[in-house]
Formats: sequence, C-alpha cells, structure tokens
Amino acid sequence: MMRAFRLYAAQSSAAIRTSFSDRGNFAIQVGGMIVNDIFFLTLWVLFFAGFRSIGGWTLSDMALLFGLTMSVVGISGVFFGGYRDMAATLLRGELDALLTQPKGLIPRLLARESIATAWGDLAGAVFVLGVFAKLEWTDLPALLLAIAAGTTVYVSASISFASLAFWAAGARTFARDLTDFMLLFSSYPGSIYQGAVKTIAFTILPAGFVVLAPMGMVRNPGAQTLALVLFGAVVYGAIAVGLFHLGVARYRRGASPSM
Amino acid sequence: MRRDLTAAAVALRVGAGQAMAGWTVLAGRCLFYVLIMTVLSALWDKVAAEPARGAIALPAGGLVLYVLATEWITLSLPAVHMRFEDDIRSGGLEPHLLRPKFYLLQSLAQSLGGTLVRLAALGGTAVVWLAVTGRQGPPAATYPYLFVLGVLAVTVGMLLYAVAGLCAFWTRRILPVQLVIQKLMFLLGGLFAPISLYPDWLRKLAEATPFAAHLYWAGVQALAPSGAMFLTAAAWQVLWIVLLSLLCLALWRAGLAKVLREGGV
Amino acid sequence: MSAVITVKSLSKAYRYARRRGGFFEAFSPEHVTIEAVAGVDFEIARGERVAIIGPNGAGKSTTLKMLSGILEPSGGEASVLGLTPWRERKALAYKIGVVFGQRSQLWGELPARESFTLLRHIYDQEAAPFAKRLGELTERFALTDLLDQPVHRMSLGQRMRCEITASLLHGPGLLFLDEPTIGLDVTAKAAIRDFIREHARDHGQTVLLTSHDTRDIELVCDRVIVVNQGRIVVDQPTDQLRRRFLGRKIITFQSAGQGVSLNLPGVTRRLSEAHATILEVDTKLTRVEQVIAAAMADGGIEDVTIEDPPMEEVIADIYASTHAT
Repeated sequence: MMRAFRLYAAQSSAAIRTSFSDRGNFAIQVGGMIVNDIFFLTLWVLFFAGFRSIGGWTLSDMALLFGLTMSVVGISGVFFGGYRDMAATLLRGELDALLTQPKGLIPRLLARESIATAWGDLAGAVFVLGVFAKLEWTDLPALLLAIAAGTTVYVSASISFASLAFWAAGARTFARDLTDFMLLFSSYPGSIYQGAVKTIAFTILPAGFVVLAPMGMVRNPGAQTLALVLFGAVVYGAIAVGLFHLGVARYRRGASPSM
Repeated sequence: MRRDLTAAAVALRVGAGQAMAGWTVLAGRCLFYVLIMTVLSALWDKVAAEPARGAIALPAGGLVLYVLATEWITLSLPAVHMRFEDDIRSGGLEPHLLRPKFYLLQSLAQSLGGTLVRLAALGGTAVVWLAVTGRQGPPAATYPYLFVLGVLAVTVGMLLYAVAGLCAFWTRRILPVQLVIQKLMFLLGGLFAPISLYPDWLRKLAEATPFAAHLYWAGVQALAPSGAMFLTAAAWQVLWIVLLSLLCLALWRAGLAKVLREGGV
Repeated sequence: MSAVITVKSLSKAYRYARRRGGFFEAFSPEHVTIEAVAGVDFEIARGERVAIIGPNGAGKSTTLKMLSGILEPSGGEASVLGLTPWRERKALAYKIGVVFGQRSQLWGELPARESFTLLRHIYDQEAAPFAKRLGELTERFALTDLLDQPVHRMSLGQRMRCEITASLLHGPGLLFLDEPTIGLDVTAKAAIRDFIREHARDHGQTVLLTSHDTRDIELVCDRVIVVNQGRIVVDQPTDQLRRRFLGRKIITFQSAGQGVSLNLPGVTRRLSEAHATILEVDTKLTRVEQVIAAAMADGGIEDVTIEDPPMEEVIADIYASTHAT
C-alpha cells in the first residue's frame, strides 16, 4: 500500500514537472484559466446583483458550487491529469507497454499527465471559497471531504467514459464530450434541475454527486448528507474500476477496435 | 478578381464538404447545443418564476429565445484562429505562399463553408428543440431574416477570431488574445443575457462594438422580431464585417512583410 | 538446457467488423475473422537468442504480445519462465523486459535518469543494486553523458539506447524486442545490435526479437523462426539459414557508358540497362570487394550501392524452397 502510494507520488511529480518544463506556456495556460474563472465569477456577481436569487440560491451558494467545481477540476487535473485524454491514450495502444509492467493500470494512466491549467482552477477555487462562499473554519473538514468525494466521482466517471474506447473507436472525442457535459451540469445552480434533467444529473452525467450532494453536506452536515456523498463516491468508483477492467479483458482478447 | 472569387467559392464548398463528412462531430455539436439549452432554459425559467423580483426586470417571456440564438451562433463558429496559429507558427504558410491564390481569402472562405453547414444543422436542432419542449418560437416568417443575421453574425465572429489568429505573426501563443476576444464576446456581446439589461452607459458602449454585432443583434431579433431592428442589426454587422476585414488585411500584410523580411516568425 | 519458453499450438483469431462507407451501413457491419496466429509450436532454451521474422501481418507481433501477457490467445498453451503469460501477467512482468521499437516507455520531457528512477519504483527494485546495474548499463551503452538530457531532445538512436536500458534495469532473464532498430541509421543500428548480443551473452539472457531487417537477425540471433500467414515456415539456426539465404548482397552500379559485365562465380545479373546494372552476389562464393574491384577495373563506374535483399524477398525464397521440397 505504502509502496503503491510512493510510486504514484513519484510518477505524479514527474508529470507535474513535465507540465512546468515550458515555463512561458505554463504561465500563459494558468493565467488564461484564471482570466476565464474571474470572468465567470464576474458574470455570476452581476447576475445575482440583478436577480438576487435563483430558486433559493444566492451568490454565496453559487460561489460554493463554483469553488467546489474548480477544486475538483483543479485537483483532478494536477494529480490525475491522465483522465482527460484517457480514451485517446487507450486508442493509441499505449496500454501495451503498461501491460508488460507489473503495476496497476488505472493509477499508471491517471498519473501520466498533469494539466497546467488546473493550477489556475485551484488558485481560483481558493479565492472564491475564501472570499465569496461565506464559510467558517469549522466547515473545513466537511469541505475537504466534499472535495475528495467530488474528485473521486469526477475522475471515476471520466474513467468510465474513457473505457468506452475499448468498445468503440469513436469514444476518442465522445468521452471528452461527456466529461465536458458533466462539467457543464456542475457549473449551474442545482435548484434549476427538475424531472428528467435532474435524473441525468444524478446518473449518467453525475454532476449531482460531483458537486451538488457534497455541497449539501457542507451546508447541512449530518449523517444523511454524509451517507449520500460517500455512497456516490463508492458507487462511481466501483463502476469505473469494473468497466475499465471489463474493457481491459476485452482488449486482451484482441476484440477492441484496432488499437 | 473574378477568378479569385471563384477560387474562394470552391474553398467554401470544400469547407462545407469537410463539415458534412465529419457528421459525427457535427452530431456531437448538436447534442451539446441541446444540453446547454436544457441547462440555460432551466436557469432562465427559474429566474422568471422567482417571486421576489430583483433589480432587473426580465422581458416578457423570459430570455430563452435570446440565448437559443446566441448559442446557435457561438457553437457554429470555426476555430479559424487555431488554423492561422498552426500555419503561421509551423511554417505551414510556405506552401500556401507558393500558390497563386490569396491564402487569407482562401482559408477564411473554407472556414466559412464549414460554419454555414453548422449554422444550418444547429438551426434545425433549435427548431426541433423548440417543438419538442413545446416552447413558443419566433414566427416562422422571421426565420429567413434570422438566418441572414446569423450568417452575418458568424462572419463577424470568424473575423474576430481571425484577428486573434493573425497575432501569431508577433506572439508565440495566441491563447491570451483568443481568451480576451472570447470573453469580450460573452460580456460585451451578451452571450447569456442581452446587453440591454446592462446599465445605460455600458449598453451604449457595448452596442457599438463588434462583439454586439457578433451576438446581441441576432439574439434580440429572435426575442422580439421587428423590421426596423433587422435593418439596424444588419447595418451594424455589415459595418463591422468591412472594418474587421480591413483589419485582417492590414495584419496579414504587416505579418507577411515581417516573414519575408526576417525569413520566418 | 531448460526451456524458458514453451509454446504448443498457440493460435489467435481476430474478429472484426468490416466497415462499409455510408451512414446506414455503419449499423449493419459485416464480420470477418482473421487468423493472425494459426497454431504455432516451438521451444526456446535459456540463453538462446531467437528472431521471429516474417512479412507484415504474418503474426510476429501478435505472438510476442501473447508471450508477454498483453494478449490472450484463442487457443493453445504457452509457458514463459514457468508462468502462463496471460494468466500471470504481473508475476511475469517482473521477470521480463520488453521494448517496442515504435513506442516509448520513457517520459519525453524529463531527463532519462528520472524515467529510470520511476521504473525502479515500478519494478520494486532496491536502491543499491539498481544503482549498480544502471551504472554498468550506462557505461556499456555510452549513456553517461545523456542521462541528464530530456529524452525528447535525443536522437532516435540515443532514445532507443535509453529504451533498451530501461527494459533491462530490473535484471530480466528474458528480453522481448519488437522491431528494436526500426527507423535508425546504420551506425545506431550497429551499436544496438552489438549491445543486445553482448549483454545477452554475458548475462545468459534469453532474447526473442522481431524484425524486418535481415542484419538484426544475422548479427544478434543464433536461431530464426520464419512465420508467414500465422504459421511457422522455417525454424532453424541462423548459420544454416545464412548459408542458404542470408549470405547475399545486392550491388547496383551506375555507369557512364554501357552496363557492367562480369563473369564471377555466384554473381547473377538482375537488371542491365544502359546506365545501371544490378547484381546479386552470393558472398560465400565471391566477396563483395572482389566484385567491386572487378567492376572498377572495367572502368566507367560512377556510383555503387550495396544493399541486403529486402526481407520480403528473403522470406519468399525461403517459402518457395520449403514448399518445393
């Protein structure tokens, strides 16, 4: 267990240093993402200045949602950045080299890349959560747990989407689109979703478990909200591992699309 | 001149053909359009249903039709800036310079070809989405006018991105320029809400920018169709198409002179 | 000598949907089955260096993938170092080294040294013996100056030397190489062949390689397995094969005037035109320099190129001869 963690840390740090290697590019990417995030924040500030609330959500709720989403995307990107292009990586046949080595495949795939823009998201997240979300220090444990659970669901769902590449070559862009859709659902007030849209947000594109349920736990800590958050993390984690390994079994039978 | 236009027309057809051949990508974009409209319409419906009204009064009927139009335009846009950056930075320009036809016109025409296909596909998606969700759309008689404004709007947007792309002659990465232009499109162009909801001074300023010509005017036409508004919109759009074309031409000439003088970028 | 690899009627069939152009056809694909490997048998003893050669699509890489545990066969058995590769992939991974010529296992932007350190963690190696082995390998492979250079700034030959080093760092007793010299220039190829041969000889390592280049086989391997359409056509020592098929050179002369005409034993004319003559030389009967000297003496030679016959031709010859007898 300790060994596995040390290996992950070593790989992840190599990936992070790789993302730093072109300093100019790194600065532009991080800066660009900060500009992007500030823009969206400004938009929401203007929005709430005009409309006060959306279905009971106020600016501080929106800031918490936005901060959680940015934290999840930031941590996923910095430490598990391989999730982003995993389908393309699988389709390029890069699994072969990993299969000849003795370590677990999912950690190897996640740690192979670190995304520079994610640092911009992390910086934005700290700013938004600290200034706009109206949080107390006592909220910190729940907040950290919320981010950890949200990251688990987000990365797990992305792995599940990428695993589609074991069945269809078209998954290269489709998997990324699905991840983007999930992110889109995670960027708007939960109060606007009803009926079928709400069902989607808590199933196929689990924005509900990436941010909405974790956010509910931060606002109303308790056994029930905690259970829902943990339930989401465990279920989506299990689905991702199961689907990925089903896919690898298929790949090793030589039945996957020409890789 | 006539031959140049013929060549541009062929490039436009090639671009349209490419967009149609990649029908899976096109279908993905239509799906994305449906999803984002599902979210944004839910948002605006919720705001419209809010009992305690805020400082801003929404137009009757909400803003769904406005956002439907602005997203229609935004999702149709080509990544012409990335194409220019690639060509200029990778030396891919050279083979084009050896050809007798004008690179700038050729590649813009090709991009516009793909854009028109997307505009048609997404437009169809919008009509279907309105029917399926049971929403009242603009009167069918206004569709031709909306399409004209849509075509002019994507042309303005494409030229704005072309300006960003041509900056590659001077900067290694155009991403910052692209992001600034994109955000100005959203903010001054009014992607999510009409600029008429802004404070008066900001509205006046925004209306005169190319960003409003890119999004706002077509969006307003979808929300409240009127003949007078159509003419105002088209006039602003044509004005900006002319000005931005001249700017692109000037940037191209200056950039090319730099390449020819210094032997590269 | 004990067998390191035992293969019995190993086979692999792929089934795939043949795509036909249009939109609606995408939903009713036609299924085609292809037998990539159709029941092969062989044994490889400890310390043997064996080449699997064959034209594209003959089943070389598929065989290598099955033996390294990446791919499950559709039939037959195999034992590699006492393990069934596709069932005990991870256990086997510690004992084998694998190099894919067209795929890198190094982190491009980082110095090679860092990739090597990561591989130490991946293979659970203790620091001290690892450092010793890395020291030996870098010295033997002349990598000492390259260790702190990012891999993506290296030449292809330098990168391949690092790839091979990376595959040996955990001290595997068995090395799989898939096209290790593909795309390299002559000097780089020579360095890699020398290294693989000497390292394997000194460490009693077993090597199984696939290649398109007949020189890889001649200079590295002592046994050759020729496959075609998923079946073994020939399995014999390189010496024997060399005598029959590999000792040939193709020499092309460009001349100002008429073509070159020579009458030497083992030299046959393949093409003769006004300015070009292509000769095939059996080097056991006449050495290359004798042919060139004779042609030069004739005068009027402007240019000479010496090549090995292409793999496809060699295999066609072998195939023809085994089917004739």
